[in-house]
Amino acid sequence: MAAYPPSLSTVEPVVAPPSPSSSSSKSSAFNVFHRFASWRNSLGLPNPGTVENLQKEVKSTLLTNFFFDGARADLSKSLSVNPIFQVTHSFALGSQTVAPSYNFGAVFANNNVFLQGGVDHEGNVSGRLNQGWSANNVTKAQCQLSSQVGHSMLQLEHDYQGQDYTVNIKAMNPSPVDATGIYMASYLQSFTKNLALGVEMLHQRPQPEMTETAASYLAKYTNDDKNWIATAQLQPAGMMQATYWQKLSEKVDVAADLQVIAAPGRRDAIATLGAKYDLRMSTFRAQLDSTGKVSALLEQRFAPSFSFLVSGEIDHFKNAAKVGVGVMIESPSMTPEEMNMMQMPPTLPP
Amino acid sequence: MPSEETKERIIKAVELGRTIVHYGWIPFIIYIGYTRSNPQPSLIKLISPLA
Repeated sequence: MAAYPPSLSTVEPVVAPPSPSSSSSKSSAFNVFHRFASWRNSLGLPNPGTVENLQKEVKSTLLTNFFFDGARADLSKSLSVNPIFQVTHSFALGSQTVAPSYNFGAVFANNNVFLQGGVDHEGNVSGRLNQGWSANNVTKAQCQLSSQVGHSMLQLEHDYQGQDYTVNIKAMNPSPVDATGIYMASYLQSFTKNLALGVEMLHQRPQPEMTETAASYLAKYTNDDKNWIATAQLQPAGMMQATYWQKLSEKVDVAADLQVIAAPGRRDAIATLGAKYDLRMSTFRAQLDSTGKVSALLEQRFAPSFSFLVSGEIDHFKNAAKVGVGVMIESPSMTPEEMNMMQMPPTLPP
Repeated sequence: MPSEETKERIIKAVELGRTIVHYGWIPFIIYIGYTRSNPQPSLIKLISPLA
Protein backbone atom coordinates (compact mmCIF):
# COMPACT_ATOMS: atom_id res chain seq x y z
CA MET A 1 0.00 0.00 0.00
CA ALA A 2 2.76 2.34 0.94
CA ALA A 3 4.68 1.80 -2.27
CA TYR A 4 1.92 3.48 -4.29
CA PRO A 5 0.81 6.43 -2.24
CA PRO A 6 -2.22 7.97 -3.88
CA SER A 7 -0.87 11.40 -3.06
CA LEU A 8 2.12 10.85 -5.29
CA SER A 9 0.03 10.32 -8.39
CA THR A 10 -0.13 14.08 -8.85
CA VAL A 11 3.61 14.12 -9.41
CA GLU A 12 4.64 13.64 -13.00
CA PRO A 13 4.61 9.89 -13.55
CA VAL A 14 7.51 8.06 -15.05
CA VAL A 15 6.39 6.64 -18.35
CA ALA A 16 7.83 3.25 -19.08
CA PRO A 17 9.17 3.02 -22.63
CA PRO A 18 7.32 0.48 -24.73
CA SER A 19 9.56 -2.53 -24.45
CA PRO A 20 9.32 -4.76 -27.52
CA SER A 21 10.27 -7.89 -25.63
CA SER A 22 7.53 -7.48 -23.02
CA SER A 23 5.33 -10.47 -23.59
CA SER A 24 3.10 -10.27 -20.51
CA SER A 25 1.57 -7.27 -18.82
CA LYS A 26 2.93 -8.56 -15.50
CA SER A 27 6.57 -7.95 -16.38
CA SER A 28 5.84 -4.49 -17.77
CA ALA A 29 3.99 -3.60 -14.58
CA PHE A 30 6.98 -4.79 -12.62
CA ASN A 31 9.22 -2.72 -14.90
CA VAL A 32 7.14 0.41 -14.23
CA PHE A 33 7.26 -0.28 -10.53
CA HIS A 34 11.02 -0.76 -10.66
CA ARG A 35 11.56 2.45 -12.65
CA PHE A 36 9.27 4.30 -10.27
CA ALA A 37 11.16 3.00 -7.23
CA SER A 38 14.57 3.90 -8.66
CA TRP A 39 13.31 7.35 -9.70
CA ARG A 40 12.03 7.82 -6.17
CA ASN A 41 15.38 6.73 -4.73
CA SER A 42 17.21 9.15 -6.98
CA LEU A 43 15.29 12.08 -5.48
CA GLY A 44 16.99 11.42 -2.14
CA LEU A 45 14.14 12.75 -0.02
CA PRO A 46 14.61 12.58 3.73
CA ASN A 47 12.31 10.74 6.11
CA PRO A 48 9.77 13.30 7.41
CA GLY A 49 9.70 11.93 10.97
CA THR A 50 6.63 10.55 12.67
CA VAL A 51 3.27 12.28 12.95
CA GLU A 52 3.50 11.98 16.73
CA ASN A 53 6.76 13.95 16.67
CA LEU A 54 5.47 16.57 14.24
CA GLN A 55 5.53 19.24 16.93
CA LYS A 56 8.23 17.69 19.10
CA GLU A 57 10.55 20.71 19.03
CA VAL A 58 7.75 23.12 19.87
CA LYS A 59 6.52 20.92 22.73
CA SER A 60 9.97 20.67 24.26
CA THR A 61 10.49 24.43 24.04
CA LEU A 62 7.14 25.58 25.36
CA LEU A 63 6.50 25.46 29.08
CA THR A 64 3.00 23.95 28.92
CA ASN A 65 4.17 20.35 29.29
CA PHE A 66 6.66 21.09 32.06
CA PHE A 67 4.70 23.41 34.30
CA PHE A 68 3.75 22.28 37.80
CA ASP A 69 2.60 24.03 40.97
CA GLY A 70 2.88 23.14 44.64
CA ALA A 71 5.81 21.07 45.84
CA ARG A 72 7.36 18.15 44.08
CA ALA A 73 10.19 15.72 44.72
CA ASP A 74 11.53 13.14 42.31
CA LEU A 75 13.99 10.61 43.63
CA SER A 76 15.32 8.51 40.83
CA LYS A 77 17.80 5.74 41.07
CA SER A 78 19.56 4.36 38.09
CA LEU A 79 20.49 0.83 38.94
CA SER A 80 22.07 -0.14 35.66
CA VAL A 81 23.31 1.78 32.64
CA ASN A 82 23.45 -0.90 29.99
CA PRO A 83 20.70 -2.10 29.79
CA ILE A 84 19.02 0.94 31.32
CA PHE A 85 17.18 0.13 34.53
CA GLN A 86 15.82 2.94 36.65
CA VAL A 87 13.30 3.32 39.46
CA THR A 88 11.69 6.61 40.43
CA HIS A 89 9.74 7.71 43.48
CA SER A 90 7.78 10.93 42.89
CA PHE A 91 5.93 12.90 45.51
CA ALA A 92 3.68 15.85 44.81
CA LEU A 93 1.58 17.96 47.14
CA GLY A 94 0.07 21.37 47.61
CA SER A 95 -1.05 21.82 44.02
CA GLN A 96 -4.16 23.89 43.26
CA THR A 97 -5.36 21.54 40.56
CA VAL A 98 -4.20 18.01 41.40
CA ALA A 99 -4.54 16.07 44.65
CA PRO A 100 -1.38 15.10 46.57
CA SER A 101 0.09 11.97 45.11
CA TYR A 102 2.84 9.42 45.30
CA ASN A 103 4.01 7.60 42.23
CA PHE A 104 6.45 4.75 41.81
CA GLY A 105 7.91 4.22 38.38
CA ALA A 106 10.23 1.69 36.80
CA VAL A 107 11.94 1.82 33.42
CA PHE A 108 13.85 -0.88 31.62
CA ALA A 109 15.33 -0.43 28.16
CA ASN A 110 17.81 -2.18 25.96
CA ASN A 111 18.52 -1.84 22.26
CA ASN A 112 15.12 -2.95 21.03
CA VAL A 113 12.77 -3.17 24.00
CA PHE A 114 11.49 -0.37 26.19
CA LEU A 115 9.37 -1.15 29.23
CA GLN A 116 7.92 1.47 31.51
CA GLY A 117 5.49 1.19 34.36
CA GLY A 118 4.08 3.42 37.05
CA VAL A 119 1.77 2.94 39.98
CA ASP A 120 0.26 5.64 42.17
CA HIS A 121 -0.93 5.50 45.77
CA GLU A 122 -4.48 4.66 44.65
CA GLY A 123 -3.31 1.60 42.77
CA ASN A 124 -3.75 2.95 39.26
CA VAL A 125 -1.18 1.40 36.95
CA SER A 126 0.12 2.90 33.73
CA GLY A 127 2.30 0.96 31.39
CA ARG A 128 4.14 1.38 28.16
CA LEU A 129 5.89 -1.15 25.98
CA ASN A 130 7.85 -0.45 22.82
CA GLN A 131 9.28 -3.24 20.75
CA GLY A 132 11.57 -2.42 17.87
CA TRP A 133 11.59 -5.16 15.23
CA SER A 134 14.13 -3.43 13.02
CA ALA A 135 15.45 0.10 12.63
CA ASN A 136 12.23 1.10 10.81
CA ASN A 137 9.55 -0.95 12.51
CA VAL A 138 8.34 -0.23 16.03
CA THR A 139 5.27 -1.61 17.79
CA LYS A 140 4.04 0.28 20.81
CA ALA A 141 1.48 -0.53 23.46
CA GLN A 142 0.22 1.79 26.14
CA CYS A 143 -2.23 1.11 28.90
CA GLN A 144 -3.86 2.78 31.83
CA LEU A 145 -5.42 0.42 34.34
CA SER A 146 -7.66 1.45 37.15
CA SER A 147 -9.76 -0.51 39.60
CA GLN A 148 -12.65 1.84 38.82
CA VAL A 149 -14.86 0.60 36.02
CA GLY A 150 -14.55 2.48 32.75
CA HIS A 151 -11.27 4.22 33.52
CA SER A 152 -8.99 1.72 31.84
CA MET A 153 -7.45 2.40 28.48
CA LEU A 154 -5.39 0.40 26.03
CA GLN A 155 -3.67 1.72 22.93
CA LEU A 156 -1.83 -0.35 20.36
CA GLU A 157 0.15 1.20 17.57
CA HIS A 158 2.66 0.38 14.89
CA ASP A 159 5.12 2.76 13.25
CA TYR A 160 6.83 2.16 9.96
CA GLN A 161 9.40 4.63 8.69
CA GLY A 162 10.18 4.26 5.02
CA GLN A 163 12.87 6.05 3.08
CA ASP A 164 10.81 9.20 2.49
CA TYR A 165 7.52 8.45 4.24
CA THR A 166 6.13 7.34 7.58
CA VAL A 167 3.07 5.21 8.23
CA ASN A 168 1.40 4.79 11.58
CA ILE A 169 -1.65 2.77 12.58
CA LYS A 170 -3.23 3.00 15.97
CA ALA A 171 -6.11 1.38 17.82
CA MET A 172 -7.51 2.70 21.08
CA ASN A 173 -9.60 0.41 23.28
CA PRO A 174 -10.26 -2.08 20.46
CA SER A 175 -12.88 -4.61 21.45
CA PRO A 176 -12.42 -8.11 20.01
CA VAL A 177 -16.15 -8.81 20.44
CA ASP A 178 -17.85 -6.11 18.38
CA ALA A 179 -14.86 -4.13 16.97
CA THR A 180 -15.79 -0.94 18.79
CA GLY A 181 -13.05 1.55 19.59
CA ILE A 182 -11.10 4.35 17.99
CA TYR A 183 -8.85 3.60 15.03
CA MET A 184 -6.34 5.95 13.48
CA ALA A 185 -4.07 5.72 10.47
CA SER A 186 -1.64 8.35 9.33
CA TYR A 187 0.66 8.81 6.37
CA LEU A 188 3.34 11.48 6.07
CA GLN A 189 5.32 11.90 2.86
CA SER A 190 8.27 14.15 1.99
CA PHE A 191 7.64 16.02 -1.26
CA THR A 192 10.79 18.10 -1.37
CA LYS A 193 13.83 18.19 0.90
CA ASN A 194 11.96 20.68 3.07
CA LEU A 195 8.27 20.02 2.76
CA ALA A 196 6.33 17.05 4.04
CA LEU A 197 2.56 16.63 3.74
CA GLY A 198 0.39 14.09 5.42
CA VAL A 199 -3.08 12.93 6.20
CA GLU A 200 -4.50 11.31 9.31
CA MET A 201 -7.73 9.32 9.26
CA LEU A 202 -9.73 8.86 12.42
CA HIS A 203 -12.39 6.19 12.59
CA GLN A 204 -14.57 6.20 15.68
CA ARG A 205 -16.90 3.39 16.58
CA PRO A 206 -18.30 3.95 20.05
CA GLN A 207 -21.14 1.48 19.42
CA PRO A 208 -21.36 -1.28 16.82
CA GLU A 209 -24.08 0.56 14.84
CA MET A 210 -22.46 3.98 15.10
CA THR A 211 -19.40 4.91 13.10
CA GLU A 212 -17.77 8.17 12.25
CA THR A 213 -14.78 8.89 10.06
CA ALA A 214 -12.85 12.12 9.89
CA ALA A 215 -9.66 13.22 8.20
CA SER A 216 -7.10 15.76 9.31
CA TYR A 217 -4.30 17.17 7.19
CA LEU A 218 -0.74 17.89 8.21
CA ALA A 219 2.10 19.92 6.75
CA LYS A 220 5.64 20.40 7.96
CA TYR A 221 8.29 22.66 6.54
CA THR A 222 11.89 22.26 7.71
CA ASN A 223 14.53 24.72 6.71
CA ASP A 224 17.72 23.50 4.96
CA ASP A 225 19.85 23.88 8.09
CA LYS A 226 17.07 22.37 10.23
CA ASN A 227 17.16 25.45 12.44
CA TRP A 228 13.58 26.39 11.92
CA ILE A 229 10.47 24.27 11.51
CA ALA A 230 6.91 25.32 10.73
CA THR A 231 3.97 22.95 11.00
CA ALA A 232 0.25 23.20 10.35
CA GLN A 233 -2.50 20.80 11.22
CA LEU A 234 -6.04 21.11 9.93
CA GLN A 235 -8.52 19.07 11.93
CA PRO A 236 -12.19 18.37 11.33
CA ALA A 237 -14.80 20.65 12.93
CA GLY A 238 -12.84 23.73 11.98
CA MET A 239 -9.85 23.29 14.23
CA MET A 240 -6.47 24.47 13.08
CA GLN A 241 -3.11 24.43 14.79
CA ALA A 242 -0.02 26.15 13.45
CA THR A 243 3.39 26.12 15.11
CA TYR A 244 6.76 27.64 14.47
CA TRP A 245 10.05 26.75 16.11
CA GLN A 246 13.44 28.34 15.63
CA LYS A 247 16.87 27.73 17.06
CA LEU A 248 18.30 31.21 17.53
CA SER A 249 21.67 30.06 18.81
CA GLU A 250 23.29 27.03 20.46
CA LYS A 251 21.56 27.89 23.72
CA VAL A 252 18.31 29.61 22.78
CA ASP A 253 15.20 28.11 21.17
CA VAL A 254 11.97 29.99 20.57
CA ALA A 255 8.56 28.59 19.67
CA ALA A 256 5.14 29.93 18.79
CA ASP A 257 1.86 28.07 18.68
CA LEU A 258 -1.52 29.22 17.35
CA GLN A 259 -4.70 27.24 17.86
CA VAL A 260 -7.85 28.36 16.11
CA ILE A 261 -11.34 26.92 16.49
CA ALA A 262 -13.79 28.20 13.90
CA ALA A 263 -16.79 25.94 14.41
CA PRO A 264 -20.25 27.39 13.59
CA GLY A 265 -21.21 27.90 17.23
CA ARG A 266 -17.82 28.71 18.58
CA ARG A 267 -14.95 30.90 17.50
CA ASP A 268 -11.84 30.96 19.60
CA ALA A 269 -8.11 31.27 19.26
CA ILE A 270 -5.14 30.93 21.57
CA ALA A 271 -1.62 32.04 20.74
CA THR A 272 1.40 31.02 22.79
CA LEU A 273 4.92 32.34 22.58
CA GLY A 274 7.80 30.76 24.45
CA ALA A 275 11.56 30.66 24.77
CA LYS A 276 13.99 28.16 26.23
CA TYR A 277 17.54 28.88 27.38
CA ASP A 278 19.89 25.94 27.85
CA LEU A 279 22.67 27.23 30.02
CA ARG A 280 25.62 25.30 31.39
CA MET A 281 24.03 24.29 34.70
CA SER A 282 20.43 25.30 34.16
CA THR A 283 17.47 25.38 31.83
CA PHE A 284 15.12 28.34 31.79
CA ARG A 285 11.76 28.47 30.03
CA ALA A 286 9.50 31.48 29.75
CA GLN A 287 6.11 31.67 28.12
CA LEU A 288 3.41 34.21 27.33
CA ASP A 289 -0.03 33.40 25.95
CA SER A 290 -3.08 35.27 24.72
CA THR A 291 -5.24 34.20 27.68
CA GLY A 292 -3.14 36.56 29.80
CA LYS A 293 -0.85 34.02 31.40
CA VAL A 294 2.83 34.68 31.93
CA SER A 295 4.85 31.76 33.23
CA ALA A 296 8.43 30.72 33.81
CA LEU A 297 10.32 27.66 34.95
CA LEU A 298 13.91 27.44 36.11
CA GLU A 299 15.66 24.14 36.44
CA GLN A 300 18.99 24.62 38.19
CA ARG A 301 21.48 21.78 38.52
CA PHE A 302 23.73 22.23 41.53
CA ALA A 303 25.48 18.92 41.04
CA PRO A 304 25.11 16.31 38.33
CA SER A 305 22.72 14.38 40.54
CA PHE A 306 20.82 17.21 42.20
CA SER A 307 18.62 19.80 40.60
CA PHE A 308 16.22 22.36 41.92
CA LEU A 309 13.11 23.63 40.11
CA VAL A 310 11.13 26.81 40.57
CA SER A 311 8.06 27.63 38.54
CA GLY A 312 5.57 30.45 38.55
CA GLU A 313 2.55 31.57 36.61
CA ILE A 314 0.51 34.75 36.76
CA ASP A 315 -2.89 34.90 35.11
CA HIS A 316 -3.39 38.62 34.53
CA PHE A 317 -7.00 38.36 33.32
CA LYS A 318 -8.22 36.23 36.25
CA ASN A 319 -5.85 37.83 38.74
CA ALA A 320 -4.52 34.48 39.93
CA ALA A 321 -1.07 33.10 40.50
CA LYS A 322 0.59 29.74 40.99
CA VAL A 323 4.03 28.86 42.27
CA GLY A 324 5.86 25.60 42.46
CA VAL A 325 9.12 24.30 43.86
CA GLY A 326 10.67 20.95 43.24
CA VAL A 327 13.78 18.89 43.74
CA MET A 328 15.14 16.13 41.57
CA ILE A 329 17.68 13.81 43.11
CA GLU A 330 19.31 11.11 41.13
CA SER A 331 21.42 8.52 42.85
CA PRO A 332 23.87 6.69 40.66
CA SER A 333 24.02 2.94 40.51
CA MET A 334 27.61 2.74 41.68
CA THR A 335 29.49 3.99 44.72
CA PRO A 336 32.16 6.66 44.07
CA GLU A 337 34.94 4.05 44.39
CA GLU A 338 33.32 1.91 41.73
CA MET A 339 32.94 4.98 39.50
CA ASN A 340 36.65 5.69 39.77
CA MET A 341 37.41 2.11 38.92
CA MET A 342 35.25 2.36 35.82
CA GLN A 343 36.77 5.63 34.68
CA MET A 344 40.34 4.33 34.85
CA PRO A 345 41.63 3.56 31.39
CA PRO A 346 42.12 -0.12 30.83
CA THR A 347 45.77 -1.05 30.74
CA LEU A 348 46.41 -2.73 27.47
CA PRO A 349 49.26 -5.18 27.12
CA PRO A 350 51.92 -3.93 24.70
CA MET B 1 -20.49 -13.00 14.12
CA PRO B 2 -19.53 -15.04 17.18
CA SER B 3 -22.21 -16.60 19.33
CA GLU B 4 -23.26 -15.18 22.67
CA GLU B 5 -21.33 -17.87 24.50
CA THR B 6 -18.07 -17.07 22.69
CA LYS B 7 -18.61 -13.39 23.37
CA GLU B 8 -19.01 -14.09 27.07
CA ARG B 9 -15.79 -16.08 27.03
CA ILE B 10 -13.84 -13.37 25.20
CA ILE B 11 -15.05 -10.73 27.64
CA LYS B 12 -14.03 -12.93 30.60
CA ALA B 13 -10.59 -13.57 29.07
CA VAL B 14 -10.04 -9.84 28.45
CA GLU B 15 -11.06 -9.09 32.03
CA LEU B 16 -8.65 -11.72 33.36
CA GLY B 17 -5.82 -10.40 31.18
CA ARG B 18 -6.51 -6.89 32.41
CA THR B 19 -6.30 -8.01 36.04
CA ILE B 20 -3.04 -9.89 35.43
CA VAL B 21 -1.45 -6.85 33.77
CA HIS B 22 -2.76 -4.56 36.50
CA TYR B 23 -1.08 -6.49 39.31
CA GLY B 24 1.78 -8.00 37.35
CA TRP B 25 3.19 -5.22 35.19
CA ILE B 26 5.37 -3.43 37.77
CA PRO B 27 6.70 -6.68 39.34
CA PHE B 28 7.42 -7.90 35.80
CA ILE B 29 9.54 -4.82 34.95
CA ILE B 30 11.36 -5.03 38.27
CA TYR B 31 12.05 -8.72 37.74
CA ILE B 32 13.33 -8.16 34.19
CA GLY B 33 15.43 -5.19 35.28
CA TYR B 34 16.77 -6.95 38.35
CA THR B 35 17.84 -10.07 36.50
CA ARG B 36 19.29 -8.32 33.44
CA SER B 37 21.05 -5.45 35.25
CA ASN B 38 24.79 -5.23 35.13
CA PRO B 39 26.00 -5.13 37.91
CA GLN B 40 23.08 -6.66 39.78
CA PRO B 41 21.76 -4.23 42.41
CA SER B 42 20.81 -5.15 45.96
CA LEU B 43 17.11 -5.60 46.68
CA ILE B 44 16.95 -2.93 49.40
CA LYS B 45 18.30 -0.34 46.95
CA LEU B 46 15.57 -1.29 44.54
CA ILE B 47 12.59 -0.67 46.82
CA SER B 48 13.56 1.98 49.35
CA PRO B 49 13.62 5.62 48.23
CA LEU B 50 16.41 6.51 50.67
CA ALA B 51 18.95 3.70 50.39
